[in-house]
Amino acid sequence: MCIGVSVVTFAILHASGDPVMLIMPEAPEADRARLREALGLHDPIVTQFLRFVGNAARGDFGRSFFHREPAFGLVMERMPTTLALTALALALAIAVAIPVGIYGAVRRNTLIDHTATVVVFLGQSMPVFWIGIMLMLLFAVQWRLLPVSGWDSWASMVLPAVTLGAFTTPLFMRIVRASMLEVINLDYVRTARAKGLSEWIVICRHAFRNAALPVVTVIGLQFGVLLTGAVLTETVFAIPGVGRLIVRAIVQLDFPIVQAGVFVFAMMIVVLNFAVDVLYGYLNPVIRLR
Amino acid sequence: MRRLLAAILSLALATVVGSAPGARAQGKDTITVALPSHAPTLDPHMHFERVGILVNINMFDSLLHRTAKLEFEPSLATSWKALNDTTWEFKLRKGVRFHNGETMTAEDVKYSFERVLEPGKEKKKSPQYGNVRAIKEVKIVDPETIHVLTDKPFPLLLERLVFFPIVPKKHIEKVGEDAFGSTAAVGTGPWKLVEWKRDQYIRLEAFDGHWRGKPAFKYLVFRAVPEVATAVAELKTGGVDIIRNVNADLLNDLKNHPQTRISTTPILRVHYISLDMRSAPFDKKAARQAANYAIDKQAMIQKMMAGLGKQVGTVVQPAAFGHDPSIQPYPYDPKKAKELLAQAGYPNGVDITLHSSAVDWRPHFEALGQMLTEVGLRTTVRMWDPGPAWNKFFQAEGKATHGQYGSWGNYSVFDADAVLHPLYHTEPGGWIGKHYARVEGLDKLIDEARTSIDQAKRKRVYSEIQRMIREEAPSVFLWTQNDTLGISKKVAYEARPDEWLWLYAAKPVN
Repeated sequence: MCIGVSVVTFAILHASGDPVMLIMPEAPEADRARLREALGLHDPIVTQFLRFVGNAARGDFGRSFFHREPAFGLVMERMPTTLALTALALALAIAVAIPVGIYGAVRRNTLIDHTATVVVFLGQSMPVFWIGIMLMLLFAVQWRLLPVSGWDSWASMVLPAVTLGAFTTPLFMRIVRASMLEVINLDYVRTARAKGLSEWIVICRHAFRNAALPVVTVIGLQFGVLLTGAVLTETVFAIPGVGRLIVRAIVQLDFPIVQAGVFVFAMMIVVLNFAVDVLYGYLNPVIRLR
Repeated sequence: MRRLLAAILSLALATVVGSAPGARAQGKDTITVALPSHAPTLDPHMHFERVGILVNINMFDSLLHRTAKLEFEPSLATSWKALNDTTWEFKLRKGVRFHNGETMTAEDVKYSFERVLEPGKEKKKSPQYGNVRAIKEVKIVDPETIHVLTDKPFPLLLERLVFFPIVPKKHIEKVGEDAFGSTAAVGTGPWKLVEWKRDQYIRLEAFDGHWRGKPAFKYLVFRAVPEVATAVAELKTGGVDIIRNVNADLLNDLKNHPQTRISTTPILRVHYISLDMRSAPFDKKAARQAANYAIDKQAMIQKMMAGLGKQVGTVVQPAAFGHDPSIQPYPYDPKKAKELLAQAGYPNGVDITLHSSAVDWRPHFEALGQMLTEVGLRTTVRMWDPGPAWNKFFQAEGKATHGQYGSWGNYSVFDADAVLHPLYHTEPGGWIGKHYARVEGLDKLIDEARTSIDQAKRKRVYSEIQRMIREEAPSVFLWTQNDTLGISKKVAYEARPDEWLWLYAAKPVN
């Protein structure tokens, strides 16, 4: 799968333009030809691809055309920041979605349930960067409660995490609610209640454990979306993450960085899906490998 | 289960904590500038991005400097004179120190030029090579005197030397090129490097031993803030002190805000639509002139640029040497435009496509397209990302692409050649000219003007060129723009006509 991703990325990048034109647009053609040679762009495409695969196996994606530093290093340098942002946003989203979703299922069609649904749908229909800018204007400019941008203190992490989280919460909430609804009227839940267990334990330990399965699946799938949603958040809040790096690299046709970035993302999603599979097995013993 | 959860949580926490760097120090002795990005390197010779130049001029000196009134001023060279048509002599300033304590000598000057010129080498590393290609050799006459030799008379020499930073030879040979461009950048400028966190900020500190004396601020920080709304928010809350390229729609907001103000001044950047003269309809002069009459430049400047611009007769800017003020801009006359178009053979109009990669000016581009459509030049506007753009429409050899809307900053060189050559000369080493322009006799005139150092003669030739291109209309001539800065009320600094941020001149307001 990673090889497939690499081939497709390589092909698209090389078809979309001439990076040397961007590096030195105002230089004479002779100078540009020299740079093209230095970067290995004059070789036939097959040669370039084989060179790329050979190097990728060793973790060498070449030097960025613009930064002149190893692409893999640049990507990995910024990865912790993006991961931290994504993880925080995910944690926030889960922390909001699970209680609200459970409450919505247990106390269906009450005022709170409906309000929560409306708020959540509003959040889903607003674009991420708009939410970010609005939050920034309100909490940082109007009321000087938080820093406007950057990633250098605990306070500066709040707005970006909330922005990205707001983007994801709606989907989780709906899944939790729907999933809980499915489970809550099943026989074993009634049995647990009949046994005399408190409502709290019934819901959290028994009902939710089984309702959690679809939720975990969605979290695993949404992680990829979150990573890419992080790009916009990073741009709005001036966070030095890998999303911003890759987007700039795409516009500038900086092949090594795009390839390194896409490759690393693909690997992360593979690992994450694997982790989700393992979690399945824990949550539902029926699914465990024999 | 609990242990697994605990493990995951602590790993997550560690990641989060590990990636939050220390808080930024912000005090009254710091001036902060927001830039949309950083250049890929701090090495002043190995990039050509405007954001990089803005940082370099505060860390490095060149032989010449320019005052805010655009007059040449001695910098690392205290005096200069032309010995003959192809040789200039420069006397160097004594006792100038680099940030690492070493003294600047003629050796460093020669080394700096050879770094870019790389005589004898086929492959040139520096993207700025084209700017100084005309220099053949730099000779050291004595420790305080150098001679610069050019292969042909090069009237732009002094202009090009205003941005040609001098770098320390011994230091670079010791630490290597890569380190010089990232962690060990050393120059003679008023600020020295403290720290560069890529994509976040470049932190500079006032240099005690600077030959002009220390600047008013102790620290200078260039923050990378990619999004305009964020930069404006930072300006309003005091997170940054200066932002660039404030759009017309944000002007009133910043003018009226209690913490901020606007400083704006005309710069060299000129806007135009280059027309493809190789194919229909713009192979006919009447069609090209029609396009010029179709644009209501004043309305666009007033309504879309808040009045911060000036219409131009041709692409030669009013502040550039060689500008002829007697050449009038095309007036707005849609009736005449329709007549001319009919004369050109298109009484029922014609369909054209215009391209551009000036994403910041999209609304203007679309307005231009509409004005042209109204006179019969039915325009489809295509906006490209600065990425694949150049490849697609300029190199479409043989296939008509009709025209391109763009702007030119001249590299801050105040000379007509710096815009005429790239836009109109058809030699292969040129820029747009070789694809689009086909004006008879223009190449010869441009060459004549750029190889003479008789300024009076050059002025005459440029007047002739401007008359010629006004008549032939190889472009739709539009306007020059302003550089507009948003500045905190706590800082005294004004925008410069050469698009520089010379922060040595910035002072805190008491």
